[in-house]
Amino acid sequence: MSHERFERPTRFTAGADSFGGVFAPETLMDNLFALETAWIAAGEDESFNSELTRLLETYAGRPTPTYHARRLSEAWGVDLWLKREDLLHTGAHKLNNTLGQCLLARSMGKKRILAETGAGQHGVASATAAALLGLECVVYMGALDAARQAPNVERMRLLGAGVRIVEHGQRTLKDAINEALRAWVTDTEAHYVLGSALGPHPFPSIVAGYQEIIGHEARAQFLTAHGGLPDLAVACVGGGSNAIGLFRGFVDDAGVELVGVEAGGVGTEEGQHAARFKGGRPGVLHGCLSYLLQDEDGQVQATRSISAGLDYPSVGPEHAALRAAGRARYESATDEEALAGFKDLAAREGILAALESSHALGWVRREREALAGRSVLVNLSGRGDKDMATILEVLAPEQDGEGS
Amino acid sequence: MSASRLEAVTTQLAQAGECGIAPYVTAGDGGLERTLAVLQALEEAGAACVELGLPFSDPVADGPLLQAAALRSLEAGTTFEGVVDLIARYRSAGGALPILAFSYANPILSRGAEEACSRLAGAGADGLLIPDLPVEEQTCIAGAVQAADLASVFFVTPTTADARIVRAAELSRGFLYVIGRTGITGTRTELGREGSEFLARVRSLTTCPLGVGFGINGPAEVAAVAPHAQLAIVGSALVEHVHQAALAAAPDQDSDAVSARAAAHFLTHLREGLNP
Repeated sequence: MSHERFERPTRFTAGADSFGGVFAPETLMDNLFALETAWIAAGEDESFNSELTRLLETYAGRPTPTYHARRLSEAWGVDLWLKREDLLHTGAHKLNNTLGQCLLARSMGKKRILAETGAGQHGVASATAAALLGLECVVYMGALDAARQAPNVERMRLLGAGVRIVEHGQRTLKDAINEALRAWVTDTEAHYVLGSALGPHPFPSIVAGYQEIIGHEARAQFLTAHGGLPDLAVACVGGGSNAIGLFRGFVDDAGVELVGVEAGGVGTEEGQHAARFKGGRPGVLHGCLSYLLQDEDGQVQATRSISAGLDYPSVGPEHAALRAAGRARYESATDEEALAGFKDLAAREGILAALESSHALGWVRREREALAGRSVLVNLSGRGDKDMATILEVLAPEQDGEGS
Repeated sequence: MSASRLEAVTTQLAQAGECGIAPYVTAGDGGLERTLAVLQALEEAGAACVELGLPFSDPVADGPLLQAAALRSLEAGTTFEGVVDLIARYRSAGGALPILAFSYANPILSRGAEEACSRLAGAGADGLLIPDLPVEEQTCIAGAVQAADLASVFFVTPTTADARIVRAAELSRGFLYVIGRTGITGTRTELGREGSEFLARVRSLTTCPLGVGFGINGPAEVAAVAPHAQLAIVGSALVEHVHQAALAAAPDQDSDAVSARAAAHFLTHLREGLNP
């Protein structure tokens, strides 16, 4: 069946500004139309929604707790709360989206899913949902990321997924998405499970829609535990799916400041970070208009971050719109600050956070004086097991003589 | 000239019931001097018009051969201004082929569509093709291409609904770009019955001249599309052929001249498919 138009808005607007859109090759358009149709139908289908809820609750482990980190609060002088997405099955928020999209794939009669992955978390979550729902799974992963997230490559393979290592370009998430999009063009039996709230319409809306359960749960849990709303809701932002999931729960609460934390990498120079809102300007990559790290000729720039999941030159378009509307602000934390956040959380709370999530912690830690006494809800989007090799490599030389 | 230079060529082909060859060249692959020599050789060898690809770092609609060409070009230092200058030099040397600039959306939109279109048209380009800009986003460039008098060309594929084919044809000037098969560039080489039926469907929906590309490698594929099209578009195969010829050039040979000769030979070979 061929389609003629989209039914839902393709852009996220803020006054005269708008972001998102459908900057996709014509060869992909019918896939996108069909996906939107299936997504709208699924949203109105009670049996689809009850099946998704059943899997989220009995398989994935929802609701995840909202935890009051009292010892770290005491150490930092900030009233710190953590939304524990690291406790979700597979160890990150990614499964919220892959369960939803794999059910969508099944409703469309697809036999196979394609996915890209940076840190490997979305690849693992895709392989997991595919195994659960009886779908074939092929995951595209940049060679650099595959090397630094080797345990996740093995996990995907054990779950029955094929892992295609991408050797082009920077060999990271950006290049994996390029390859997955190309594969989707030719593989009409497949659904492409995009892992972050980016890409051409309807992906940003689909992914955010499946992740917003994070924010809705967290808001209700925080109200119950605390009796009010947090002063700030903070999340790391790569593509931005965990952050948009958290923010959507609080976006109508004007008193809650929304803060996204990008990867500051090792410096502010070109190629040394992935802080799109600091060093970027509006541009089109992977089907959507958003903030993009690019040179004056519009060529996409290299990025750098200790965290594979944040190492991406663009950002989800809904974040660009929230920023333009003045509703959310975007800060950055360097590799070093993220590691400091990681270490403090491990030492005070017995939790190993993913390097991605550690950026949110690292920002709170750095800003702890300004945030003194305020309640801060951080989305702990994933667990750190996958990052052990990277962290040990960086921390090992520091171990001797380190007092704290 | 601009849009009308392209329209003159495709309209004449349509009226004569003929098909021409529209080669694609990645600007700056092997350096801009080589591109200039290749353009001149293609004109000499009887190309009807040329698609001049501005390299982009993330060419998501392209297969491995054109990805590699874009990367080579960027590594050689090709910039937007360099390509503008190349077009101007081709024109000032008497080059008369219609030139369609082929660019991904970001290099055009991030510069500002008006500025980009006006620079391209000012140098002597005649049209603009943006592979990741479907009709849903055409308002991003509509005013700019009109102000610069560039011909906008949109794409249709076998999965494009009839109403969108009509819309794409209405928005296109010069010709409508028909991708004969699903897939990325340069990966399939047969037109097949499905492809023929698709071309017939497009033909029944619009009188706009048609440019057809689907991975044309040789005269047989040109012969297959010629009855249905005003332009047979050849991309990956030509780009790779020219690249390989340059690689094989002896150390004492001028590799730009070798590339230009290879391009001309390849085009002449393809043209055999026009008069089988």
